[in-house]
Parts: sequence; structure tokens; C-alpha cells
Amino acid sequence: MRKPPVVIAVLGVSAALLAVLPIGYLVLRLFEGLDRALVELLRARTLELLGNTGLLVVAVSVSALLLGFSQAWLTTRSNVKFAPVFAVLAALPLAIPSYVMALGYISLFPTFSGFFASWLVLTLATSPYVFLGVTAALVRIDTATEEVARTLGLGRLKVLRRITWPQVRPAATASVLLVALYVLSEFGAIALLRYDTFTRAIYNAYRGSFDRTSAAALALVLLLITLLIIWFERRYRGIYLANTKALGKRVRVDLGSWSWAATAGLTLVAVFSLGIPMVSLLVWSVQGSASLDLPMLLDALWGSVRLAVLSGVVIGVFATAIALWAVRYRTKLGSLVETASWATHAIPAVVVGLALVFFGANITPWIYQTTWMLVIAYLILFLPNALAAISTPIAQVSKDLEDVSQSLGVPANKTLFKVVLPIAFPGIIAGVALVALTVLKELPATLLLRPTSTNTLATRLWGATENIAYSEAAPYALLLVIIAGLPALALNAQARKALSEVRG
Amino acid sequence: MATLNLRGVEKSFGDLEVLVGVDLSVTDQELVAVLGASGSGKSTLLRLIAGFEKPTAGTIELAGNEISSVTKVLVPEKRNIGIVPQDSALFPHLSASQNIGFGLAGWSSKVRAARVTELLEIVELTEFADARPEKLSGGQAQRIALARALAPRPAIILMDEPFSALDAELRTRLRLDVKAILKKEGATAILVTHDQEEALSLADRVAVLRNGQIVQVGSPTEIYNSPVDIGIATFLGDAVLIDGEVKNGKILTSLGFLNPLNKVTEGQTGRVAIRGENFYLLPNPKGDGEVIGQVFFGHDAVVEVVTKGVKIRARSNGPFAPEVGMKVSVWVRGSVNFYPA
Repeated sequence: MRKPPVVIAVLGVSAALLAVLPIGYLVLRLFEGLDRALVELLRARTLELLGNTGLLVVAVSVSALLLGFSQAWLTTRSNVKFAPVFAVLAALPLAIPSYVMALGYISLFPTFSGFFASWLVLTLATSPYVFLGVTAALVRIDTATEEVARTLGLGRLKVLRRITWPQVRPAATASVLLVALYVLSEFGAIALLRYDTFTRAIYNAYRGSFDRTSAAALALVLLLITLLIIWFERRYRGIYLANTKALGKRVRVDLGSWSWAATAGLTLVAVFSLGIPMVSLLVWSVQGSASLDLPMLLDALWGSVRLAVLSGVVIGVFATAIALWAVRYRTKLGSLVETASWATHAIPAVVVGLALVFFGANITPWIYQTTWMLVIAYLILFLPNALAAISTPIAQVSKDLEDVSQSLGVPANKTLFKVVLPIAFPGIIAGVALVALTVLKELPATLLLRPTSTNTLATRLWGATENIAYSEAAPYALLLVIIAGLPALALNAQARKALSEVRG
Repeated sequence: MATLNLRGVEKSFGDLEVLVGVDLSVTDQELVAVLGASGSGKSTLLRLIAGFEKPTAGTIELAGNEISSVTKVLVPEKRNIGIVPQDSALFPHLSASQNIGFGLAGWSSKVRAARVTELLEIVELTEFADARPEKLSGGQAQRIALARALAPRPAIILMDEPFSALDAELRTRLRLDVKAILKKEGATAILVTHDQEEALSLADRVAVLRNGQIVQVGSPTEIYNSPVDIGIATFLGDAVLIDGEVKNGKILTSLGFLNPLNKVTEGQTGRVAIRGENFYLLPNPKGDGEVIGQVFFGHDAVVEVVTKGVKIRARSNGPFAPEVGMKVSVWVRGSVNFYPA
């Protein structure tokens, strides 16, 4: 077995350690003070949080599934008018961070809060994930299977239930679990809409008292629920592969007189998910433009961009090293490092932030309250995203090219830098950009860990909403959508693929 | 007794006329092949019979009941029709036997299991009963698809190019299997294909579809030996076209007098179509033909010869085919079809 260059091994192992250590430390600390932590947890309050969180997770998962599935089916499988336009509109909410969407609503309707408000905003914000996943599965179904089922005695609805749904189910399950994890770790929107879930309680417990045991104990419960859902996802993810061959011709179902109802429904969804929040933010921005503090905005913009570029590059370097190690060398240690880097995937940012607060304050005080602490937080949070994006272009470089290069006298490790990396470079850059854009939108970990002198668009927006100064927050929200949300959606490979396939 | 009757069936998509006045009937236990080039409207014809499309004119009758007309289309699930699509389209989430039993919803579980077992035996895939579709080869999948269509004993089976996704050798073998299975089940079927060899070797009757019209219906030998026009003649097999004129009841051509198969009128001019196998080549150093090309297929060969100013292509026994450059004499065996200009 070939050994990777030392640089790669060092980068890989340190990234894996950075990803795993703080969380491990949080767990360890809690076990030291187990009696106090138990006292914290054995209160009616914990049960209430559990109920609130569970209710929201289940409700949003169900409604996002129904909404995303309907949008996907109508745009790919029915003859609804303007299907490609509605497909874009169904994916577009991905460009709006959920706390920005919540801000759009609450600044328009100040009493909009609680369970219903959180449910509506999170359903609108997460249904695009279901839409994209289900669309990708739907376009791969051979519609001849549905026609055969018709001739064997099944009506339209039964075909949908017995033939279409089973073929879409793996993709739908995966996207719904993604939605569940999203809701579980969501902080900004839920805090803005004043609904009590774990993330909000953890943040408030941390901010509100000097004893951080309560926050840490709650964080541990949230971590356990997250792991449970991830375990569930692993267990029930795609049991069989649906039709993987080239896309066949698709026959679209004639909706007949329902066509207008479908058009109206899709339009209404777009009004709620895009129209209302964006119009609200635009109106508030225009109203507040006279009193806009431009230097403050520019300072936040600079803070955001600086952090995003720095973290993007750092995470990109680590992710490239791990991807090279795992994909091109396939050693045991390499795949262990890769697994460790994935392990933190989907851990709520509030938990990561809190773990780093503990770790930083007690173990590494010399970087606590510095920018590097934030970069580490982003590394833990977004290394899995970066790995997913960067592994693909690296894996796509043909092994034959490496062989040719070595046969021409270039040693293996040099080949890596002279052949593999240059070819994969555009893909790596796209991955780095995607991570940088995700960093721009991050809120809870940034709030917990930022040095007091650092301000970003997200933290300024947050500060303004805490003072109920919506016209002050609106321009920050708009700027986030324009410089982070829209470019991220444009770079999203899954979205691009799904949208191009709707036309077919 | 006619099982299926199409009367004056037409179909247009917007301005595009796909089928024009199609009349076709299929009798009980008959296998009819609809032969047509791509774009001739074959698949649309099947979709109309299955109830996935509505005719713009005409009616379709199955087992004595009108199932399609301009005003009323019976839904596919109530038609009692089985379909076998081009690439089998097995339900990917069900096993082979679950696929076969899919259409037997109303049957008791015992009868249903017996029917599935019976069909697995007929298609000779008993050991694959529990296999998932992705584990089956193309030919196996296609046989399961046929069994699935046959299971509820439909009034008619519709097969849309069922062999086109398979490689050549498998295709020939599966054709024979399918014919035997259909006969064993006593099934009535329509096969749509662009492959004349497939149509001729499988079907009891062949209907030739061209530009949305059925231009000839008949037994495979009728269709092959007596094509009603030059287009069908060349579509069904390689044919050389030579100008000729009717004289004394025979056709005078540059290859001499030939016997007409069809009725001719004295003095008419036109063309004859001569198939490769009608030419007989005799190596003869004084012959007036010269071999200018040869394509060897093993069992036979196509020999290109220039004789009396005409270029012909003759089929010849592979091992005995004349070589390029040899002189030959050319005869035309049997009668030929004459098509007046």
C-alpha cells in the first residue's frame, strides 16, 4: 500500500482531531459533574423542551415532505404550465437563510411567533431539500413502469402509491431526515419567532447565567437526539438503488381542469416562501435607508468576507488533504480520518459553539476569543460539506493519468501535485467557495465565539433584532441573500442538476 | 372471431398527423406484427389501443366492446390489456414473482401463487422467482415482463419493440421463446417492430405501417413475395430495381424476359424488383457479368455484379460465392414483381 506525503497525513490527522476533540471534551466534562448535570436535566423544563422540539421536528418534516413532493411531482410529472419556472421558484428559498426568512415575516407581522410561525417558516425553508431530492428520484423513474401498472388494473392514485412512491421513497426518506436534522439544529429562526426548543434554551442558558452546566447538559441531550436521527438515517437510507440508467422519455400526466388549481397552489407557495419575506425586507430597507449607518454596514461586510475567505481556504486545504488521502491512497488510517471528519456532520452549531467555549476557556486559553477559535468552529461544522464537494473532483481524475505520469519518471507524490491537483483545481475552488458562502450565513457559533471586536453581517442583523430594530436589520438580511444565498444556490450541484432535469 | 377491431383510427398531435385512417383487426390467438420504420406511428398505435391516448377519429373495439372513440376512452386499468414495453420496465422495488403477480389483485392467494409458479415455469425462470429486477439479464427481464403481462390472461398483449434492447444472438433466441410462450398460453398479441426479419419470422400476419397508414396486411410470405409497391418491396429486403416493359405477357428488361408474379397490362412500362436470392450466378469465363464486390457473411454472401450495364446484388451460398474479378453468367430464377410507372 502506498503511503501519502507527510503534509497530507499531518493535515488530515489534525483536522480529524480538531473535529472530534472539543465535542469529546464537552462530554467528558459533563461526566465529571454528572450529579449536577442530572439535577439540571431532571426538571419539567427539559421535558417541555423535548416536547416542543419533537413536535416541531415532526411537524416540519411531514409538511416539508408533502410540500416538496407535490412541487417535485407537479413540475416533473404533470403538464402544469411554466413547470421550469416553478422548479426554480421551488429551489430558490435555499438562498434565504431561515433566520432571514423569519425576520421578513416578523418585521411585517410583529405578533407572528410561537409554534405555528416556526412551523410555517421552517417548512418553507426546508421543503427545497425535499423538492431537490425527490425531483432527482422522480426523473429517474421509467414511466413505462407506471403505464404497465395501469394496464394491470391500478388507477392513477394507486399507481402513485404502489409504483411511484416506492421508487422515490429512499430519496424522500433521506431528504426528510436532512430536514429533521436541520430543524433540530436551527437556532436563528426559532429564537426570532420565540419558540422554545433546545437550541434556544441552550443559548439563553449560556447567556443568562454564569453556571454553564445547564447549557452543557441541554447540549448533550440535543447531541444525543441528533445522533439518534443520524443513526436512523444510516439505517434506513436507500435500501435499493432505483433505476440508475440514462433518463428515458417521460410522459407527463394531463391535469385537465386541475391544471389551474395546481398553478395557483405553486404560485401561492412561492408568494409565501419568497414574495412575503423578500418584499418585507425590501420595504424595510428602503424605509430605513435614510438612517442607514453605512460605515457600520461596510465594517460588518468586511468582517464577514474576511472570515469567510479565511475559513474557506483553511477548510479547503484540510478537506483537500483528507480527500486526497481517502480517495487516492485508500489506507486504513486515511479512511479513519475521513470517518472522523464526517462524525461531526449535522451536530447543531450551538453544541459545537458551546463545546469550543469550554475547550477554549479551559484547555487552549491562548486562542480563546480570537478569530482562530471561530475558524475551528467553522472547520468542525463545515468540513463534511467541504469533503463532499472536494472529493468528487479529486475522485474524477483518472487513475490512468497518474500511471502515465509515473511511467514518464515523475514520482507518485510529485504526480499528486503536478497532475491530480491541477486537474481537480476548479472543482476544489468551487468547493471552497461553497464553504465560504456557508460561513457567511452561519449565526449561532459566530455569536458564541466571535471576538468582541469582530462584527459580521449575521451578528449585526442579530443585534438589531434583539433591539426590535427591524429597519436596521433589513439591509443586512438583503445583503446576506445577495452575496451568500444566491451564489451558494448557483454553486449547488444538486440544485443545478435537478433544475436542468425538470426541462427534459 | 375478431378480438380487436380498429376502424378508421386517426391521431394527431396538434398539426402533426401521426395515424391516418387505420383499419386493423386481430383474431383470437393470432400474433400480428405491425412493421414500420421509426416515426411511422407504431408506438402511438399501441398507446391508443392501451388507452394512454385518445383517438382524433375512429373507434377501437376489444372483445366486442367499444373501448376507445373520440368521445369516450376507457381507462387503461379497465381494458384487460397486457403491455410489454421496450426495456421491460419491471417494478424495481418488487421481486420477479411479485412483478408477475402484480396484476392478480382480485385473485385468491392460492390461485395467484399457482399462476405465478406456472408462468415462471413457462418462461423458464423458476430459480429467479425471488430475484430483484437489477439482478436479471436483459433477456430474463424481458421474459419476466412478458409473464407479468400474460398473468391476468388479458384479451390482448401489446409488445413495443420488445427485443430491440438486446444483442443480436439473444434477440433471435428470445424471439422463438416468445412465440412459443404466446402459443402455449393461447394469447392474442400485437408486436410492433421496425425489424422486418423479426416481423416475418414471428407473426401470423404482418401489417406494414407507413406515414401513419397501414399500406399492406398479409401473411409473412404474401408480404415478402408480393409487396404492393416498390417502397414495401425494398423495405422488406434487399431488392434490385430494373426498368422494364410488358411485351407478350412478359417483362422485357436489360436482363432479358422475366415472368411477372402480378397481373400486368400489355405495353405498360415500369420497374421490376428482383431480390438477391432470385439471382443465380454461374462462374463462366465467357459470361457477360463481372464480379466487382463481395461481402462475406459465412452462411451466405452478397455478390455485386455488373452485367449488361446493370449493377445487381445477388445472394450466394457463402462457401461457393464467386470471387471479385471473376466472370459469371447471371440468371433470374422464378417470377418477379412488376410495378408500373
